[in-house]
Amino acid sequence: MKKEKAKQKRKFLTMEKRRVVEAYMFISPWIIGTAVFFVNAIISSIKLSFSDIVQLKGFVMEYVGLANYEHIFMFDINFMPTFIEVVVDTLINTPLTLVFSLIIAMLINRKAPGRGFFRTTFFLPVLLGSGYVMEQLLQIDATGAVGVGITLPAMFQGILGNTFAPLIQAVLDRITVILWRSGVQIILFLAGLQGISSSLYEAAKCDGATQWEVFWKITLPMISPIILLNFVYTMVTYFAAADNALVKYIIKSVFTDKQFARGAAMGWVYFAFAFVMCGVVFVAAAGLSKKEER
Amino acid sequence: MMAAIKKPRIRLKKIKFGHTCLVIGMLALVCFTALPMVAMICRAFMPLDELYLYPPRIIVQKPTLSNFSDLLTSLSASEVPFTRYIFNSIFTTVVTVFLSIFVCCAGAYGLAKFKPKGSSTIFAVITAALMFSSYVTQIPNYLIVTELGLVNSYWALILPKIAVAYNFFLVKQFAEQLPDAVLEAARIDGANELYTFWKIAMPLLKPAWSTLAVFSFVNNWNDYFSALVYINKDAMKTLPLALQTLAGGAGVVARSGSVGAATLLTTLPTIIVFCIMRGRVMQTMTYSGIKS
Repeated sequence: MKKEKAKQKRKFLTMEKRRVVEAYMFISPWIIGTAVFFVNAIISSIKLSFSDIVQLKGFVMEYVGLANYEHIFMFDINFMPTFIEVVVDTLINTPLTLVFSLIIAMLINRKAPGRGFFRTTFFLPVLLGSGYVMEQLLQIDATGAVGVGITLPAMFQGILGNTFAPLIQAVLDRITVILWRSGVQIILFLAGLQGISSSLYEAAKCDGATQWEVFWKITLPMISPIILLNFVYTMVTYFAAADNALVKYIIKSVFTDKQFARGAAMGWVYFAFAFVMCGVVFVAAAGLSKKEER
Repeated sequence: MMAAIKKPRIRLKKIKFGHTCLVIGMLALVCFTALPMVAMICRAFMPLDELYLYPPRIIVQKPTLSNFSDLLTSLSASEVPFTRYIFNSIFTTVVTVFLSIFVCCAGAYGLAKFKPKGSSTIFAVITAALMFSSYVTQIPNYLIVTELGLVNSYWALILPKIAVAYNFFLVKQFAEQLPDAVLEAARIDGANELYTFWKIAMPLLKPAWSTLAVFSFVNNWNDYFSALVYINKDAMKTLPLALQTLAGGAGVVARSGSVGAATLLTTLPTIIVFCIMRGRVMQTMTYSGIKS
């Protein structure tokens, strides 16, 4: 009797179900970690943004509705200007980063001596560029040691006129920071470039295409998925960077001024905006590729 | 040395003029990239009077070791022995890296190879998590860590950083390429699932997790923000945080030199780890880039 029952029990756990159980056995540590320190955190952060902390000890919260959000937009004189500054900065830096990293990737992709050296130099900042060191370096930047980089010679300023000279100066000012932020993008572009089959280039050569035409007609369309990926990646990293003025402001209001609820609300406004921006990029990219298909 | 310099020159003569321009342009870009690093190294050796020159200099004129000796004196003045900070940093970083690799590899393997019900939901959570700045979750995480009573313990620095979305994502890209046939063969030969994972899948995933080890090491080593939030006892501080507080923090005039020295000391391990693992990291990054 007992044996039969055991057999029946085993039958309930079919092969398929067993696979699911086994799968979750592998995934569960990760799920627990994410549930505690990410999902849980996100939820309580949302809750926090809609409440006010009545008592700091023990974190007694009280639901206040949209008051925190109202405060940010109506009363906080620092939030909106910083927000706009960060958005403008990101919108300028993202395309510049993409252009620079694509150029560098194409240069590295050629079989020239010293390839490995160049690759390592451009990639090294990715490893150092997080946390303490980056902060230190930007500190140096603030005191001017790195920022001096290059000033446009006065002669060029005369030639370029008043409209273009500040523009180019702005690019020169940003170049070090941009190059420091393009390590991952360069690698991704490099991967994309190496993925293009050489027969395409050979065919173009046979048809007498110039280098310029080859770039616009073959290279660029072929790596367009990676351009999109890089665009979103770059935007997200700029939005989330620790040296970003708004992120700094949020950290300051949370950890220095102990405005936990308002900080959370600011974080959510900011994140929602970043999310929408990424969505816009995706939709625009989808629209562009449809146009091309026609 | 001479031969090394001469060789490219001979080649350059053969190559067209355009290529020479190209190399020069590349070197210019390299200069821009290397500038902060050079500045960092030089600042560690700068005497105080040079640090405050105007206009500021990047290259050091009269290098001294006084910054390092300053740092050492302030270190020996503190109650906690310096080795304790090194131990704290190494212990938390190594444990985090190991646990993170294990948890992320197991999860990615389970998700990619078993494709259980709900896997698309999990993947959606991962992609969402990739977009979040860690600062958004920092406040609630602080509350959670406080609630768990982990403030001022090693676990506060380890636990929140195990289930990292980026690591999971990278390994999953690789795990999907694992040949089913090999795993199937192991199962037919009577290996249980854990054995298959540990002895078959993990060795095959080695390029992925060795890269991850480097990234994870570098990030956790550099991360002084979470130590700043979770730790307020001197004896539990990690090296970057300890060095920063001992050096007086950024912006303090009197010890600017020591800050430079401390920065250099903090970056050394990451550079060493990167140099050892360089080839592999490059390979994996290029490879995973194609797939994503």
